[in-house]
Amino acid sequence: MHAKQKTWLWNAVFVGIVFALSYSVYFASQKIEYNWRWERVVPYIINTDAQEITAPGDGTVEIDERSHQLTLVVDGETTPFVVKEYTELQVSDGDLIFEGDTLATLEQWQIGPLIDGLIVTIEISVYSLIIALVLGLVIGLMRISANPLLRNMAILYIEVIRGTPLLVQIFIMYFFIGTVMDLERFTAGVIALSVFTGAYVAEIIRSGIQSIPVGQMEAARSLGMSYPKAMTFIILPQAFKRTLPPMAGQFINLIKDSSLVSVISITDLTKAGREVVSGSFAPFEVWFTVALLYLVLTSALSWAIQRLEKRLSASD
Amino acid sequence: MTDTADNIIVATDVEKYYNNGALHALKTVNTTVKRGEVVVIVGPSGSGKSTLLRTLNQLETIESGTIIVDGVDMYDRNTNINKLRENVGMVFQGFNLFPHKTALENVMLAPLKVAKRPLAEVTEHARELMYKVGLADRMENYPSQLSGGQMQRVAIARALAMRPDIMLFDEPTSALDPEMVGEVLDVMKSLAAEGMTMVVVTHEMGFAREVADRVLFMEEGALLVDASPDVFFDTPPHTRLKQFLSKIL
Repeated sequence: MHAKQKTWLWNAVFVGIVFALSYSVYFASQKIEYNWRWERVVPYIINTDAQEITAPGDGTVEIDERSHQLTLVVDGETTPFVVKEYTELQVSDGDLIFEGDTLATLEQWQIGPLIDGLIVTIEISVYSLIIALVLGLVIGLMRISANPLLRNMAILYIEVIRGTPLLVQIFIMYFFIGTVMDLERFTAGVIALSVFTGAYVAEIIRSGIQSIPVGQMEAARSLGMSYPKAMTFIILPQAFKRTLPPMAGQFINLIKDSSLVSVISITDLTKAGREVVSGSFAPFEVWFTVALLYLVLTSALSWAIQRLEKRLSASD
Repeated sequence: MTDTADNIIVATDVEKYYNNGALHALKTVNTTVKRGEVVVIVGPSGSGKSTLLRTLNQLETIESGTIIVDGVDMYDRNTNINKLRENVGMVFQGFNLFPHKTALENVMLAPLKVAKRPLAEVTEHARELMYKVGLADRMENYPSQLSGGQMQRVAIARALAMRPDIMLFDEPTSALDPEMVGEVLDVMKSLAAEGMTMVVVTHEMGFAREVADRVLFMEEGALLVDASPDVFFDTPPHTRLKQFLSKIL
């Protein structure tokens, strides 16, 4: 009973502190007379405004109500401009129309640039994550190899990549390697992130493998398993389980680091945020929204890995 | 060395060094093991008895000499060591069960993945072995849910699953609580009674006297005594062995 009361108290204090922090943000913005306009951010996430369909040139309108079709016979063109999807007509049959006039409106939800950016960020992260995992596994195994060539190659790779800033690596990948090998921005970005994360994944996998007692390898080999078989069936499954927590951290870093590819003009979530700020004049709201969207991504990943950890803990 | 065909293990002039030659771990060891024989190796810790055992399936390599197992020269360049190890089961002091697999899966893994036997046959054999070591009700348990004695019995079943001709035991009871030693030794005794060739490194002198055909005594890397249990324990033929036995008996 006594312990329970204390828990309740500390939870209350926690909520109080969170409220105080939120209020201090609000108070600070009041100080600089900032007007919060959250509604301005909404269209950049999901645009619910009706779109206008405008005429591509001068011409005459023909409307067929039955087949729900508007046809604009454009002067001097053989193929007419046909509109099949619309919500409300702004013109009537036989009207003379000039270029740029509104023909009809269409009420349809459209995803905004922030969500477009979010999707690009997810794409980059997923590709990079898969490549980094494969790369890290190969380099990690090379790192503990008995062959000095493989081992030194792995050490060189890990030291070079970990010893230079990701931002610089992205520039080199895009402006140098990308130019030489004619890579697209997106590809260059994904490669830079994979190569960077791969070096860290390699070290995580190496330490995971080395944390498995030597006896496991000996037992596997004494049963007649080859080194690759012993790795596949005995060592790696155990190492994988142990490396999940640091791996989760590394992949969360990957998602956050992906914001750096905006410097080579990939319209990821961060670059979309920067563009929306200049369009909406609501920098605080936009950056808070962008931060929240990143948080949603990283929390989802973190949750998924925790689930996996729980499932794998059956043998503990 | 009269009847070489019957010798399943022949070790000749085996030399082994550790730490780049700083430690002479095996000093010109010569020995043979006949098919169906139970050989127990005893000696003080650091005497090289575990090292000798581990050279018999090449978990330790040797610097010079030859070891011929079931007619196959282990250090010949054309010898497939994995193939040879399938025929030599090993039981470790620390069990070394695979913690991410159930007891039954531990037993089934090598026959499935190494020998590539059909699943139905492997399952049946693995169940038989679990019965044999007295763990029929523990097949679905993970190693973390078993006692030390139970884990070691699963480890024996796992080694037997490859149907080896030779079984090596590296201090199989040394990591066990005293009350669990008996159950593991019982399994080993029944295995010996079935005619399995066994090389056992142990401190269990009772087991050596009761089960062994020959007992070897090693000290500082040298094989000093090779005798029948009666001679070994009743009239020790070496002063160092006498001193050793007086300390532990």
